[in-house]
Parts: sequence; structure tokens; C-alpha cells
Amino acid sequence: MKPIEIVFYVLTGITLLSAITVVTARNPIHSVLALIATFFCLSGHYILMNAQFLAAVNIIVYAGAIMVLFLFTIMFLNLRREDEESKTNLTKMAAVVVGGILMVTMLLVFRAVQLPAVNEGNFDARTGLVEQLGIMLYSDYLLPFELASVLLLVAMVGAVMLGKREAGDRHF
Amino acid sequence: MIIVETRPALSLRIYIHLPFTILLALPIFLALSSGFVVVGVYLERKISAFIQDRLGPMEVGKWGLLQLFADLLKLLQKEDIVPAAADRKLFLLAPSVIFASVFAGFAVMPLTPDLQGSATAVGVFYLMAIVSFDVVGILMAGWGSNNKYSLLGAMRSVAQIVSYEIPLGLTILCVVMICQSLNLQEISFQQGIYTYEPNYLFGIRALGIDVTDWGGIFSWNILRNPFLLIAYVIFFIATLAEANRAPFDLPEGESEIVAGFNTEYSGMRFALLFLSEYAMMLLVAFLGAILFLGSWNTPLPNIGPVRLADWTSGSPGTVWGNLTGAFWLLTKALAAIMVQMWVRWTLPRLRVDQLMFLCWKVLTPIGIVLLLISGVWRLLMI
Amino acid sequence: MLPIILLSVFGIVLLFMGFLKSKVLLLPATLVFILAALATTFMDWGKTYLYFQNMLLTNNLAILFTTIVLLSAFMVVALSNSFIEDEQAQPAEYYALLLFSLVGAIMMISFENLIMLFVGVEILSVAMYVLAGSDKHSPRSNEAALKYFLMGAFATGIMLFGIALLYGATGTFVVSGIKSYVYTNAYGVSLLLYMGIILLLIGMLFKVSAAPFHFWTPDVYDGTPGLFTAFMSTVVKTAGFAALFRVLSVSFVGVYSFWWGTLAALTCLTLLIGNVTAVYQTSFKRMMAYSSISHAGYLLIGLTALGTQTKQALVFYSLAYSLATISAFGVLLVVSRQRQDTNGVNENFDAFNGLARQNPLLGFVMAVSMLSLAGIPLTAGFWGKFMIFTTAADKGIYWILVFAVLMSTVGIYYYFRVIIAMYFREGAAEPVKVAPFYRYVLIAATILTLVLGLAPGLLEGLV
Repeated sequence: MKPIEIVFYVLTGITLLSAITVVTARNPIHSVLALIATFFCLSGHYILMNAQFLAAVNIIVYAGAIMVLFLFTIMFLNLRREDEESKTNLTKMAAVVVGGILMVTMLLVFRAVQLPAVNEGNFDARTGLVEQLGIMLYSDYLLPFELASVLLLVAMVGAVMLGKREAGDRHF
Repeated sequence: MIIVETRPALSLRIYIHLPFTILLALPIFLALSSGFVVVGVYLERKISAFIQDRLGPMEVGKWGLLQLFADLLKLLQKEDIVPAAADRKLFLLAPSVIFASVFAGFAVMPLTPDLQGSATAVGVFYLMAIVSFDVVGILMAGWGSNNKYSLLGAMRSVAQIVSYEIPLGLTILCVVMICQSLNLQEISFQQGIYTYEPNYLFGIRALGIDVTDWGGIFSWNILRNPFLLIAYVIFFIATLAEANRAPFDLPEGESEIVAGFNTEYSGMRFALLFLSEYAMMLLVAFLGAILFLGSWNTPLPNIGPVRLADWTSGSPGTVWGNLTGAFWLLTKALAAIMVQMWVRWTLPRLRVDQLMFLCWKVLTPIGIVLLLISGVWRLLMI
Repeated sequence: MLPIILLSVFGIVLLFMGFLKSKVLLLPATLVFILAALATTFMDWGKTYLYFQNMLLTNNLAILFTTIVLLSAFMVVALSNSFIEDEQAQPAEYYALLLFSLVGAIMMISFENLIMLFVGVEILSVAMYVLAGSDKHSPRSNEAALKYFLMGAFATGIMLFGIALLYGATGTFVVSGIKSYVYTNAYGVSLLLYMGIILLLIGMLFKVSAAPFHFWTPDVYDGTPGLFTAFMSTVVKTAGFAALFRVLSVSFVGVYSFWWGTLAALTCLTLLIGNVTAVYQTSFKRMMAYSSISHAGYLLIGLTALGTQTKQALVFYSLAYSLATISAFGVLLVVSRQRQDTNGVNENFDAFNGLARQNPLLGFVMAVSMLSLAGIPLTAGFWGKFMIFTTAADKGIYWILVFAVLMSTVGIYYYFRVIIAMYFREGAAEPVKVAPFYRYVLIAATILTLVLGLAPGLLEGLV
């Protein structure tokens, strides 16, 4: 095995392990922390694919900001006590069956798919770096890039609207 | 050894390191950041004593020089206490996470023209990403301790760090815009006599005064775009908050919440938290020096036949070049740390609302304006 | 293209107008903005334009769908005078969010690149999540927002996964690029394509509340403030079907045999669940939620029987459905607010008792809209159903036709419950007060429904 393959398999192992922990952990804090570990490992995968910028963004945005807010909220809510199970056995069975079918289908599809061979001669080391990404974003994908700002504006207006203090509310 | 390659498109250089320089950077920085605790704590106590008109530690060794070793010895002997109600795994893991994330930041720091852990193309960005990760460690420590003071301290700390990342990021972006690179070594090269692009006075090409040969302070980023001086002040304030230093030390405000997120820690784990705090100080001081204050370049310019810049900095690749480079960078970083300490013992602690006011309503708007100015300035530079 | 830019800018302008002390200007300004967008929409009439490197495609079909969406929004905004009177409300933000969501809807209608579809879906959905929870003091509204948000986020995630797989299979995000991939590889398309189609369909069918992805609909429609429910059930549905039509008719028409069976099964399920469950409702608003599910089913028939007539049928049906739904919600809004019971606003069927005696106009508007939804002749709804059923007949899928006719007879039962309550039950003595402008909007919607019912040929040949 080439060293890069060893790195890949080790990283994949950790990724899957932490992703499984997200689902199985009893404590919500442990779940979130495992999710952060998963994002971190995914960033590792991005780096293996030479998408360095994406890797850094993934850590800043997901591991550094969103997940921290998640942790923040959960810690404030203090969800330590185990809530009683509200799901019936029927729901669980249905979920297992549906999820299982989906997994089997996907496994079959991904096994059957034949990926085109990689042409190493075409490899451009600059693909995935900031420069190329910026040129792409500001030329071919300019319109969705700009309209994504409308999306962010909507989310921001909505958050302010729902969170704004009103005459009757008291906060401190 | 360095191989310089000029690409036609944007004339960026690619540095190819021999493996041993990469391997060299790791122990050097490890020694540097842990050695700095020794110097830093002694310095801090002596400076605070000077400001408060007392003597500081005097008993252990000449002028109290051995005080910190005595303290370390004490910490080593202490029992590693884990509170009974704590979340054991998180509690034990947290200090390592915090230290690892701070220390990982040194990976992209250039210490000399030839010594840099990784010359990745997204250097600064990586640094911001990895450093922002220590809030996770702080939350783990605060929550894992199962102590209300710890939790409150962690909450304050995280709110503060996440907020101040925005003005910090904006000022860093100003520099990136001027230098057109995210690689810290590339940014360093631009700020001295070994640059591969001509530098003009105040960065304005239209003035027609070529200062490439002058070097020294004239090619530093704060003079290539004078507005970056304001940016540096914002950067400095924001990094104080990032490092939880006074006057932004609300997370460990002793008078209110004991010691914040590290209340329950003792022995070597406390020492590790302490170490990462000082490593963070060193990291941001380095970063400020590299981004704004000319990195490892000398501050002395060539004035006509008086070749001060040439005399005080060797060319990259030579031993002399590396020695002078390390000297200048360390001097600048230590000067910034002295200012950090001076601020700590001069200013009182802020209130939480003042903290947030400063970040969101003062620093962030100024940062956005500076970003705009830097964009325009870059157009003047080419 | 121009309406997208205009609406984004107008939304920001509205946010700034929120700083004004007086709220009086907001409503007329919003109406003018929507009309301006509507006017610029027609500038591209009769031509086909591609904008920004295959990002956006405008043709007559897109313009017609955009018109329906903007018309619905216009009427919803025109019925919103209650915001101005309500001290708790933040009308500037509401109107701005509505305009922004229209940007999303137009993107969904005229996308050529799947990224545009995704961004459009997100803009529309995020605005709707917020508006669903805009009644901050009502636990039902909060519940609605949270349910819609959580499930909607999952649906979007599934859709995004589908888009990623489609990219993996075809190497392009462009709708027509996927089409040419399908045609050039007619006998050996990648399995990822099938997986992508299914996941993309799941995401989109959630947005148009087709079964079995409809579970959010009743609770969300019920908890959301009435006006926004009207917006949700018209604009979101129209935009969703426009998007589904574009992606199915252009990209995936080459693999029709793969997806039509799945879609046919879902169509029948949607019709069954929507119509049968609606019968058991006591709340008018919940009934309307299930009715909207059933109408999603009728519209799905058009997609299942994809053919040359489909686009005409979809446009007509969406228009008829939007007009009827908005006038029904318009009447419900005034009635429920003025005939309160012990729990606050009364949104049950009995709120309409005897309405036709005291307010003949409101009674008539409601009756026409119910008849149109039920698909009774002389209303637009009849021709809408007729065209949809014709597509199925053209394609030769008769069993689905029979099933749909059966289900629409079930529909007649619950729509007539309202008419019976209004005309044959005794109710409160005092009439419901209606503002003049409000009345004009309702009358206009009713007249349009009747005109389209009498002369369906007006829209013929436009697409």
C-alpha cells in the first residue's frame, strides 16, 4: 500500500467511527463532539483531494462556528437527563426497514458504478486552491454566488425578526 | 535550501523544502512555545511588579530567576484531581485539545526565510481555522468540570472568542488583500529587500518613489498601506480577546467566577492550560509581526551608501540570513508581548456588554471600512 | 432575470422603509413593487433567453409560471391590511421576506442549472420557515415553524445529495447537459443517475407536500398565520411544480420509463391520503391543508402523464388553484377573526354558519372558490381538472384517470360542507365587516375564476 492509501484508510476509519458515535452516544454533548470530530476528518479528506480551501472553510464554519453554537445551546438547555423514549416500536421498526433498504440500495449502486479512470496527466495542482475557486465563483457561478447573499439576508432578517425584543418581553 | 520559481500568471513563488527543515520546525516551535512560558511568566511578574512599583519574585535564585522552575516543580508534584461528578473523558481530554489546537497554528509560521513547517497555499486561513478550534476544548473543559463557575467561564470565553474572530478575520483579510497571498512566507518576503515585486513609498505607484532597495521599515505592510496601522491596532485588540488576556479576561474573572473554565484543574493539566495560554500569546504576537510588522525583515533601511538593511539581514539560504531573520522576528514578537503585558496591568476588566459593544459596533464596522480601503489601495499599488 | 434583481432590491428597500414611523406606506409600496416585477417579467415574452453561462432560462412557460406566482403574491399582500393594524406585527420584515421568497420562487421556475434550483429552494424555504413562526406568542405557530424547519432541512439535504449524485453521474449541473448525457448514453446510463433522480424527487415532492412526504403539511398549515398559509399553499406549490416539470421534462424525459411508475404510485397515494383524510377534519384550515395535498396529487397526474399537453394543463391548474385558495383563505381570515370562540380565532367549519345570509358577497366568493376547488363546471377548477385528466387520457393511463375521478367525487363532499354551513345553517346575527379594498381583491379573484371557467380558451396557445 502506498502511504497515501494508509492515510486514507486510517482517516476513513476514524470518520466512520466518529459518525457512528454521533448516532449512538447517549449524551447529546458527546454526540456533538463526535460530530465535530467527523467534520475534522472530512476536512482531512478534502486535503487528500487537494481542496485545501474547502478544508479550512469546513473547519472554520462547521467545526468552529456552527457546532460551537450547537454545544452552547445544548449546554444551556442542560439536556443531561435522559428523556423517556417517545418512539413506539412500530416507528423504530419502520425506520430500521426504510433505512436498511436505502443502505442496501446505495451499497448496490455504488458497487455497480464504474468510475472513469483517472488521467494523471490532466492533474492540475492548483485546482481546489483559493485562486482557482475565486475565478470560478466570479465567472461561471457569479449568479448563484450573488443570489446566495439573498439567502443569507433572508436568514438574517428572519433571525432578527424572531429574536427581536418586544415591548412586553424582559430579557435580563 | 530554497528553489524560487516564477510563474508567468501571478509570479508567485513555490518553496520546496527539504524534509529536514519541516522536521526541524516542529521541535523548534515546541521548544519555543514551552520555553516561552518560562520567560513569559517571569517577564509578566517582573513587569507587573514594575508597573505597581514593587520588586516581584526575588527569593528563588538571583533576582528570582528560578521562581518559575520552583513553581513547575510544585505543579509536577501535585495530584491530578478529577472531580467525582465530572465527565471524566472530556475533563481529561480538554487540556490536550486546547494545547493541540494552539500549537497546530505554529505549523504555518515562518521563523526565518527558510524555516517554516508547512508552506501550504492557504496558510493564514488554516491558522484561523485551527485556532478557532480551541473554543471546542474550552467548552469541553468548562462543561466537563461540572462546575457552575467553569461552565460560566467557558460560555463567556466562547462568546468572546467567536465574536472577536470577525474583526480579527477582517484585519487579516486587509493584509491578504494587499499581499495577494495567504502564504505567510510569501507575505514575509514581500516586506523586505528580498522581495520580488517593486515596493513603492506608501504603496502608491503613482508617487514613483521606488523603495525596493531601501527595504527596512519602508517595505513593512503598515507603511505599504498606512491604513494597516489602524488595522494592526484592531488586530491587536482582537487578539487580546482571542487569547483571553486582560482587559478581556472575563472568562477567568477571579473576582466573579473563581478561575473560569480552569477552576477544577490542578497539577500538570493546569500547567498544560497555562502553557497553551502563553503559547496563544506567542502565536498571535508572531502573527501580528508577520502580517503587519515586516516579519523577519530588519526595520533598518538602506540610506544611500549606509547599507543598514543589508548589514543587518543576511540573504535567505545563508546561516547569517536565518540567524538575523529569527532575531528580528523574535524581537518584534516579544515587543508585542510586552505591550500585551503592559495593557494587562494598566487597564481594568471590561463588562460583558462593553465587550460585545466594542466588538460588534466599533471594531467590526471599522474593519469592514478598512477592508474596502485596502481593496482600493491594492489598485493603487499595481 | 430582471424581476429577480428588482425583487431583491425592493426587498432591501422595504427593510429600510421599516425605519419610517408610519406603516401606512408599506402595503401600497409592496404592491407597486410586485407590479413592477410583473411588468418586467413580460419584457422577455416570446423569446428564449439564457442568462449567466447557463444559469437561468426564461421562456414563455417560465414567464407564465412567474406571473401566477407574482399574481398570488400580489393578492396575498393586498389582503394583508391586518398587519398594519396589529401593533405586534413587523410588516416591513414580513413584506421584505415575501419579496425575497418570490426571488427564490422565480429561481425555481426558471433555473437552468441545478445549483440555481437549490439556492432558490433554500431562499423560498427559509423565508417560509420564518413566516410560519411569525406569530411569536402562539405555541402553534412556533410548533409549525420548528416542524417545517426540521423536516424541510432534511428534505433539502436529501435533494442536495440527489444533485450531487446527478453531478457524479453526468458531470454537469446544467439541465440540458443532463438531457444530452441521458440521450447519448441511452442504454447504459450510470446507476448514480437513477439514485440521483429518486433523491431529487423526494426533496422536491416534500416541498409540494405530496404523500408520503406530507406529514408536515397539516400541522404547519394549521399553525401558520392564515395569510402566510395562503402564500405557502399557492406560491410554494406553483414554484415546486414548475421546477419539477422543468427537471422531469427536460433532463429526465429520456428515462421516463424509469420514474413514471414511482411517480404514478405516489400520485395515487397522494390523492387517496389528501382526499380521504380531509373528510374527517373539523377545522377548515386543516381541511385546506389536506385539500392542498390532494391538489398536489392532481398536479402530479400531469407529470406522470408527461406529454405535449402537460405544460398547458399545469399552468392552468396552478392558476385556478391559486385563485381559489387565496380567496378561500381571504374569507377565512376575516371570518375567523371576527367570529371568535373561546379559544381565540375560530377556524372551524362552524365559523361559517349562516355567513351567506349576513354577508352574501363573502358567501358567494367562498362558494365559488369551493366549487372551483371541487372542480364543478363553470369554474376555472373544472377546466383545470379537465386538462389534467386529458393528459392522462392522451397517454393512455386510464386507471389513474378513474382513480382520480373517484377521488374528486370524495372532494366534493368536504368542499360542500362549507357551502352547506354558509347557506343552510343558522349562525351569528351580526354581519362580518370587510374593508373596501379587501372586498375588491376578493371580487377580482372570483371574477377571474368565473371568467376562466366560462372561457378557458383565453390561456390557450400561450405556451
